Formats: sequence, structure tokens, C-alpha cells
Amino acid sequence: MNNPYLPYPVRIAEIRVETEDKNLRTFKFEFLNPGDEEKFAYLPGQFAELSVPGQGEIPIGIASSPTEKGFVLFTVNRVGQVSSWMHNMKAGDVMGIRGPLGHPYPLEELRGKNVVIIAGGFAVTTLRSTITWLLQPENRPNYGKITFIYGARSPGLLLYKEEWMAWEKRDDIDVFVTIDREVPNWGYKVGFVPAVTKEVCPPPENTAAVICGPPVMIKFTQPVLEEAGYKPENIIMSLENRMKCGLGICGRCNVGPEYVCKDGPVFTLAQLNKLPKEY
Amino acid sequence: MPEYIAKKSALTDFFKALSAGRRLLTPQGAGDQCRLAETAPDQVKLDYVNTHMSPKTLFFPQTEKLMAFHKDASKPDANIYSCAGDKAVPTVVFGLRPCDARGLSVANKVFQNDRFTDPYWKGKFDQTVSVGLACAAPAPQCFCAAMGGSPYGLTGLDILAFRLEGGDLGLKAGSEAGEALLKDLKLESADLAAVFNSQQAAAIQAQGVAPDYRPIDEANLMALFQDPHWLSTAENCLNCGVCTFFCPTCHCFDIQDEQDEKGGVRMRNWDTCMSWLFTVHGTGHNPRPSKTERVRQRFMHKLKYIPLKQDGVRGCTGCGRCVAMCPVNIDIRAVALKMCQSSAPSQA
Repeated sequence: MNNPYLPYPVRIAEIRVETEDKNLRTFKFEFLNPGDEEKFAYLPGQFAELSVPGQGEIPIGIASSPTEKGFVLFTVNRVGQVSSWMHNMKAGDVMGIRGPLGHPYPLEELRGKNVVIIAGGFAVTTLRSTITWLLQPENRPNYGKITFIYGARSPGLLLYKEEWMAWEKRDDIDVFVTIDREVPNWGYKVGFVPAVTKEVCPPPENTAAVICGPPVMIKFTQPVLEEAGYKPENIIMSLENRMKCGLGICGRCNVGPEYVCKDGPVFTLAQLNKLPKEY
Repeated sequence: MPEYIAKKSALTDFFKALSAGRRLLTPQGAGDQCRLAETAPDQVKLDYVNTHMSPKTLFFPQTEKLMAFHKDASKPDANIYSCAGDKAVPTVVFGLRPCDARGLSVANKVFQNDRFTDPYWKGKFDQTVSVGLACAAPAPQCFCAAMGGSPYGLTGLDILAFRLEGGDLGLKAGSEAGEALLKDLKLESADLAAVFNSQQAAAIQAQGVAPDYRPIDEANLMALFQDPHWLSTAENCLNCGVCTFFCPTCHCFDIQDEQDEKGGVRMRNWDTCMSWLFTVHGTGHNPRPSKTERVRQRFMHKLKYIPLKQDGVRGCTGCGRCVAMCPVNIDIRAVALKMCQSSAPSQA
């Protein structure tokens, strides 16, 4: 019988320090056993449990795109026991990942639409996956205009710099990167994500917004989108709650009758409006 | 389907045949010592009220090893987890009360849900024949009928036994597997439908007039959630969690790693939504920060969320354990009535 609790063994191929405070590192994993990569077939927006034997597990969004073969990427903030342990691990070390878990962003349903992607801080991870996927030559023609708004407190706290700088040079995606306060030699936007969204977000017709960020960013960005005319059905968000099993069984991540792990983490604002705000 | 009779004079033979090739578990011990224990066929008791703990321990022990790893670097699988669950033993459990069997069927739909199957639960569940014993006389804390069950209910059972005058046992199949097993046992068959129905009606009547909790089913989720009564409902609660440990449908658990210098294991242990730690985020944010939210979660889960996910079947089966065990006398029936009132259309 398939055991959804049992992690696939992986080797850390590379660890990249992402931010100047060193609190975020991106782990590149390669599967140890042939065939496991195929079993771990995922889509942008899904997550996995990262498993360190003897330490525990943490649910983390998948930062790589399924179009990137041979490895999977996870960007991990140093917070608790497992993530702190991981920050002391080295390339070559063996650990585990299990999943994919949760539902992906509804990219199939967004075909033919414009997509505006709004990210704050390190919640950008599954949106890196989404954008990488959308920009693939086989996927890009299926979507309209793509807009990416990404904010962090300071330049040193922005993730995936090489990637968004490369996206910025393309003509098939509009990239707006912003920091909270002016710093010397900063060539991009300054201001909070809600203000930048108000300024640059495309008209709501045939457009969906995908938002991922800290609660305070979401709280102030949501009204901007609603004022701009976005319907709750077209505002897509990804929730986080404390999790253990990731399978809708252990009971702690529920928002009303829905389990964030099994039934989410992706919900539309229309769905969330009918649920308790227990997240 | 006809019913069958196990004669009083041949009950030991019946239990022997029922447990051929399986271990036999039945309620043993009295009062708060009453628990499911391995039993010889001639030692089965029929005069207990119910087991102190719910029978969820059959498939979901309080603590359970999920997987293990070693740290012997000379071997290629060092630091890699492999399955280490206990091997399921073929089992027949006799004497489940219908409330508890119904509870197991609710929990089964969580452990085997629309997306994932828990192999540790399923392994034991599939190896177990569940035989119930109907409740002719309710205990003081019983309210299964009010929650949509019956003291003669068949839900979650392969076979339900009920006592006949003179000491014989009537047997009714609750599943195809149960029907096949009864046929195999070569028992006397009889049409006991009339006896069964009249016993059931009398047992339901003995529980008293059941309050009508249907307004909760019909109410808007957010109206129930936002009602101010939760503040006073939760006021006395100590968040001790005893209700969740005794509840036959409470299924929450924690996963913890344990290790020493040679290796380690990944365990799962019962957890409780009454605990602050249960939901706290790594950031310190807690979506259910005070006992008011946590108490609300428990009752909303039993009476609204589970019915929404399980075709109207409630997550409370009326076994009465939480009512009997709560140190501050919180009674789910009283809470359900408050929820009925909060869901009533506003008079304003």
C-alpha cells in the first residue's frame, strides 16, 4: 500500500543563501531513488513536507516549476526546530520530502486570461514556480498579459534576484519590484505592495489576481483589487496554517470545514468569504 | 436478510466459531476499568455498560510508531526513514456499542478521505470484524438517538447482536461481510424483525424525548460561528482536552520524531484542539488564540463541519463520555441547544 507519510529520500545538491539577513536559504534537492521524481509529479502552488530524520517535518511551498527537471527547490525561512536544523545542513546531506500535497493554483482555469501575480516577502516561493511555468514556450501562448508585482522591505530581502531580473528583460511579462523605503542606487519602485498594485494593476476584465504574502499585505491589497473591480472569484490566494500530516487527517489546519492542507492551500476570495477567518 | 440466533446453551461455541483464525476482543472489567481485551470464547461478558475509553484505540492507538531510521553510515540507507508500523492482527471485536461503531465509521471517512488513505488505520480496520451489542437499556449519559443514531443501529458494524428473552442472542448483519460470516457460522436463522423493531423502539423511548438539533444542520455556518454565546459557553472550560481523548470521533494527532545516537523513530500521538500549541504558527500568530476559539472549534467540528463533509452525519454519536468526564460539566447537548437558538431567524 502506498504510504503518504513516508518521505522520498533526497540529497541536498545545493544550498543558496537568498537574503542578506541569511534567514532564507534555497535548497535544491535531487531524488536518491530513480522513479521518485516521476512519482512526485506536482504543479505550481502545491507544497511538500520536508523531513529531517530525528528532527521532524515542515510544510513548505514548492519553489521550482515542474518544467524544471532533475531537481526540486524549496526556500526555507529559519523559524523553528526543523528549519533551523536545515540551515546547518550541507550540500550532500540526505533528508526526505513527501508530497506533493494540497491543490495547485487553478492555472488550467486561467487559460485565456490575463494574470496579475502579487507577492510580498518570502511568500513569493510558489509564485516563482507559477511564473517559471507560465513563461515556458508551451504555456505562455495560452495566457494573456502577465503582470508581476513583488515587494520586500529592502533590496537584500528580495528572493530570486537573477530570475526576476531576467523576467524584467522579457517583453511578455511586466515586472514591478518594490521596496518599502528609498535606498541609494535602487533602480526600481519604492512603496508598499498595495500602493504599487493600485498604480499598475491591469483592468479587471478577463483578469485574475494571484496573491501570496504576509497577512498585512493581503489585508491592504485585497481592497485595492476590489476597488479596481476584481470579483472575489478572480482573486486567488494561498493560505498557511500549522500542519502535521498534510493529508486532512491530523486536524489542526482547518478553516471551518476545509483543511488548508488537503482542500487548499489555494482558495479564491469568494470561497474564503464564506469561511471563518481562522488562519 | 433474515436474522440468526446463537443459543444460550451454545454461546461459547458461537464465540469460538466467530473468532476462528482471529483474536477475540471483548469488553472486560467493570466501571472505569472496562476496556476491550483479548478474551477466551467462554469468558465473554454481556452485562457491561460500555468501555471506559472509546474503541478508536483499535485502529488509532494513543501512540503509534510510523517509521524508523538508523544512523549506521556503513549502510546505504542511513538516515532514511522506512515503514515501521505494527503488523495488523486478524481480529473480531465483539460488544461494540452502536454509538461507538458509528463513531468509528465517522473517523474512518477521515482516515480514508477523498484524497488520501492512512495505511496505519486501514491495515487494522481491514483486518477487523466488528460485532456490536445493542443497548436494551440506556445508561444515564446516553443520547445516541438525539444525535441521529440508534441503540440498535447497524452503522459501522458487520454484525449486531441483541439479547432475546431466555438468554439467546439475536444476530443481524450490518454488512455483506457480516452476512457472509453469519452464513458460514451455520446458525439457526429466524425472522426476528418484529422483536428487533419493538426492542429498538423501547430502547429509544427509554432515552427520553430527544431534542431536535436539526436547526444546526439548516443554519448558516458563519451565523453559528459568529454567535456571541461562545464566550459564555467556553467560560468554564479548562482546555484540559479530556473530551477529545474520550471522544470516539476525535481523530487529531501530532507527529513527533524521537532519536538517540543509533537512530530514531517518527511517532504519532493523540493531540487535542483544546491546546494552544495545536494551531500556533512558527511566527507566533495563532488562529485560535484563546479558549473561546478552541471550544468553538470542537463543537463546530462535531456538529457542523463533519456533517457538511459527511452527508449530514454528525460527528457526535451521543456516547456521553465527554459529558461524563468533563471536570466542569460542559454538556454537548446544552451547547447544541445554544447553537440551535443562535441559528434561529432573528426576531428583530
